[in-house]
Amino acid sequence: MLAPDRNSTPHVRLTGLGKVYGDTRAVTDFSLEVPRGSFTTLLGPSGCGKTTVLRMVAGFVEPDAGTVSIGGVDQAGRPPNLRGVGMVFQDYALFPHMSVLKNVEYGLRRHRVPNAELRERAARALEQLDLTALAERYPHQLSGGQQQRVALGRVMVLEPEVLLMDEPLSNLDAKLRLRLRAELRELQRQLGITTLYVTHDQDEALSLSDQLVVMNEGRIQQVAAPQRVYAGPANRFVAEFVGLANLLSVTVREVGDGYVNVSAAGQDLTACLPDERTPKAGETGTVMVRPEHVVLSEAGAHVPPDTWRASAVIASHGFFGSFERYWLRVEGASEVWLVDVPLVSSGFTGSGSTATNELKGRRTALTIGSAVTLSLLRGTASWLW
Amino acid sequence: MTTGLKRVGRLWRYDPGLLLAYGLAGLFLLVFVVWPLARVALEPTVADWRQVFTTPRWQRAAGNTALMLVLSTTSSLLLGTLYAFAVTRARVPGAQLFSAVPLFLLLTPPFVSGLAFILLLGRRGLFTYHLLGLETSIYGWHGLWLAQTLSFFPVAYLVLRGAFMAADTSLEQAARGLGAGRWQVLRSVTLPLVTPALLAAALFISIGVLGDFGNPMLVGGRFQVLATAVYTQLTGWASFGTSAALGLILLVPAVLLFATQQWVQSATQGRYATVGGRSSSLPPPAVAPWLHWSLFALCVLVTLFVVANLGVILMGALTRLWGVDFSLTLEHARYVLSHVGGLGNSLRFAALASVLCTVLAGLVAFLVKRGGVPGRTGLDLATLLPAAIPGTLMGVAFVLAFSQGPLRLTGTGIIIVVGMAVSYLPVGYRVCAAAIDQLRTSLDESAANLGASKLTAFATVVAPLTRQALMAAFVFCFVQSVGTLSTVIFLVSFDTPLASVTILNLADQGSWGRAAALAAALIIVTMVALALLFLITGRRFKPFQEFTRAGA
Repeated sequence: MLAPDRNSTPHVRLTGLGKVYGDTRAVTDFSLEVPRGSFTTLLGPSGCGKTTVLRMVAGFVEPDAGTVSIGGVDQAGRPPNLRGVGMVFQDYALFPHMSVLKNVEYGLRRHRVPNAELRERAARALEQLDLTALAERYPHQLSGGQQQRVALGRVMVLEPEVLLMDEPLSNLDAKLRLRLRAELRELQRQLGITTLYVTHDQDEALSLSDQLVVMNEGRIQQVAAPQRVYAGPANRFVAEFVGLANLLSVTVREVGDGYVNVSAAGQDLTACLPDERTPKAGETGTVMVRPEHVVLSEAGAHVPPDTWRASAVIASHGFFGSFERYWLRVEGASEVWLVDVPLVSSGFTGSGSTATNELKGRRTALTIGSAVTLSLLRGTASWLW
Repeated sequence: MTTGLKRVGRLWRYDPGLLLAYGLAGLFLLVFVVWPLARVALEPTVADWRQVFTTPRWQRAAGNTALMLVLSTTSSLLLGTLYAFAVTRARVPGAQLFSAVPLFLLLTPPFVSGLAFILLLGRRGLFTYHLLGLETSIYGWHGLWLAQTLSFFPVAYLVLRGAFMAADTSLEQAARGLGAGRWQVLRSVTLPLVTPALLAAALFISIGVLGDFGNPMLVGGRFQVLATAVYTQLTGWASFGTSAALGLILLVPAVLLFATQQWVQSATQGRYATVGGRSSSLPPPAVAPWLHWSLFALCVLVTLFVVANLGVILMGALTRLWGVDFSLTLEHARYVLSHVGGLGNSLRFAALASVLCTVLAGLVAFLVKRGGVPGRTGLDLATLLPAAIPGTLMGVAFVLAFSQGPLRLTGTGIIIVVGMAVSYLPVGYRVCAAAIDQLRTSLDESAANLGASKLTAFATVVAPLTRQALMAAFVFCFVQSVGTLSTVIFLVSFDTPLASVTILNLADQGSWGRAAALAAALIIVTMVALALLFLITGRRFKPFQEFTRAGA
C-alpha cells in the first residue's frame, strides 16, 4: 500500500501544516521530516499544538493548510483507519468491555487476518510484552503500567510502519515512567519503527529522541538532536523550556572556529558557537550558562585566574535530593540566576554547602542573604544570539 | 456546502457503510418527520383557519388547553420534584420503597389514571358515592387536572430523582459549612444544580399535556380541549382542514417551549453541570423536621393513591357492573382473553417500534456526535423535532401524509409502528447522545486507528459501551408505546386494533368492567415483558440513571 522507497525520502513528511480553531491558531506553518526508523519527539508546553500535529498525522484532525505524506503518499482525505499508522493514546483508550486478548486481537480482526494467524500473532505480541498471564483480564483489573503495555501491544501486533505516541507515560508514577521509558526506547530500536512522540516532559524528550522538535504557540522553535538543543538552543524560549538557563548580555570580541570570545561585565569569556550562527566582532548578544555549570564560592574566596566571575547574593534556596538549588541576585544581571550545586562533590570551595554543613551538624555558610562569588566552568557557556 | 459535498464524496470512497446508514437515517427523518409536518401545515385553507378562530366552541377549547397546560404542568412538576426531593434528599422513612412507587405509574398507560378516577371518584365512584355518599362529579377541569397530574408527575419524578442523585452533595455540605441556612442552600445550591433537569421535565410534560387525549376524553366531560376537538373533527366530521388547523395551534406553545428549553440549555451549558460528574458519598444536609414529615406524608398520600388506582382497575376487572352490582365475576377476564387481538398488537407493535427507535436513536446520536458527517445540525434538529409535536397533531399529520400516493400506509401496522417510534425518538436520542458524550473520544479514535471504519467502531465499541443507554431508550419507548393513545388513535384500523384504543372505546361506551379488565391485562403483560427483558439481559441495569444525563 505504501510506496516502499526506503532510503531517499523521509518516512513522514509534514509540509506547511496549519490548523485554526476559532480564533486560535493551533498550528502554523509546520514542516518536518521524520527519517525512517528514527525516534522524533515533539516537545512543548501544553497548548503548543504538538498533539494537534500528531492528530493530523493520525488522521483525526484535517489540516487547514499543508500536507501530510507517509512513505511518499499524500494522506489528504484518507480516514484514520486506512493510514496504517499505530497510535498510543495518553489515556491508553483500551476498550473496557474487552479482555486484554480481545483488545490485542481487535486490530487484527479489523484487518481480516485469518483466524490461525490472528491467534498466533496475538499470542506472540502478548508474550513479547510479558502480558500472556493477563490475557483474560479486563483493563480495569490492570495496573497503569500493564495498561500501557496493552495499549502498545495492541498497536504493535499490527506491525505498523509508523508509531505515534501521545504522552504515553504521563499517567504513570515517576519510577515506572523511568523504567518504561527505557523499555520503550529499547523496543523501538529493536524494531526500527519510525516513531513520532509527543511530550511536555523535557527529560523524556532528551533521553528518548534521535530528533527533537521544540514547539511553542503552534510553531516550530528548533529541530535538532537533543544534545544540540540543550547545548545550543535556538532562542530564548528553547533555552528556558529545555533545561534552565541563565542569560548574560555580552559584546563579541573575536569569532573563532566553533567558539566566540566575548566580553561580559568587563571580563573575557569564551562561549561555544553553533555552526549556523555567525556573530560579528563588536556586536552585542546573549550567552547562556546552565545552572549546573556555575560554581559557588564564599565571597572573596580564591578563584582560578582567567575564570569569569561575579558577585551575588543568595535570594532563596531549595533542596532537590541530589543537588541544592540557589536563586541568586547577580551583580550587573537583571534577572535572577539559578545555580545547582551537586551534593556529592560540592563545588563550594569554602566551608561547604548548606546541606553538607547540616550533615556535619553546623550550619554556617550559605543562607538567604549570604554574599557569594560565582564562577563559570571553562567551556560551558553557549552563544545564543 | 462544497466541504459538505467533499465529505460525502470521501465517505463514498472510504466508508460507504456509514454513508448508507447516514442516508437511511436522513431519509427516514425526512419521510416520517419532516414530510408529515409539512403536509399537515399546508392542509388548512384560509377558510379553515377563519372558522377555527371564529368558532366560540374552539376558542373555548383553546382557552381550556392553555388552562390545563399551566395547571397540570405546574402541579406535575411540583409533585414530581417534591417527591424526588423526599426520596433522595430529605431521606424520609421508607424512601427506598417510595422511590419505586411512581415507576409503577410509568408502567401504566397515562389514561389508566383517568379510568381509575372514574371508578374511584366518578358519579357512582367507589370512594365518593359508596363510601362517602357524595353525589359529586369529577367530570370537568378539576378531574382532568387531577388525572393529568397523576399521569405526568412520574416523568418529573424520574428526571428530577436522577438530577438530585447526580448533584454533588458535598456542594450542599460546603454551602452549609460556609454558613448558609437550610433554605439558602436549597435556593442557592440545590435548585440551580437541578435547573436543567427541571426544564427538561417541564418541556416533556407540557408537550404531553398538550397532546394528551385519553384523559380529556375520559374525564373531561363537556370540558373540551384542542386534542379532543381535533379528534372529533377528524373522525366525526372527516374535516381534515379544521382538524389540522386545530392541531397546528397546539404547535405554537409547544414550539415556544421547545425553543426556550433549547436556548436555556445551551446558554447555561456547563454552568449548572455537576462538578466532577460524580455524586459524593457525603450524606445530604438534613432538612427541617416539619418539612421532613410533610414530605413523608406526601409520599404516603401518593402511594395510597397509586395503590388505589391500580387496585381499583383490578377490582373493576373482576366486578360485574361497577357502581351497581359489585359481585365478583370472571366474565370480563374471559372477554379479554377471547379478544386478545388488540393486546397482541399493542405488544408486537410496541416491541417493533422500540427496536426501530433504539437503532435510530443510537445511530443518529453517533452520527451527530462522532460521525463527522455533513448536516449534523439538521439531523439533530429533525430527530428532536417530534419532542415539540403534541401526539394528536402527529396523528393528524400521519393520516394526511400517508393516506394516498406511493406512501399509502394508513391501515397497516407499519404506520403504527413508525408513529410510535417517531414519538419517542427524541427521548431515546437524548439518552444515547448523552451517553456518547460521556464516552472518551479516544476510544473510537483508537478503534479507527486500529483499522475500524466509523460504522464498525460504532458497532464494536460505541454501541457496546453505551448499551445501558440503548436499553433505557428501548424500555422507555416500549413502555410508552404500549399505552400510547394520542398518535395511534388516528392510525388504528379494523385490522390493526390496539389495546389502548379498545380500552378507551369500551370506557366510552360505559363498559367499565371490560375496559378495566383489558387495562389490567395490558399492565400485567407489560410488566411480564419487561421482567423477561431484564431476565434475558441478565445484567443489573439502571435505565433511570440514563435519563438524568439526558435531562441535565
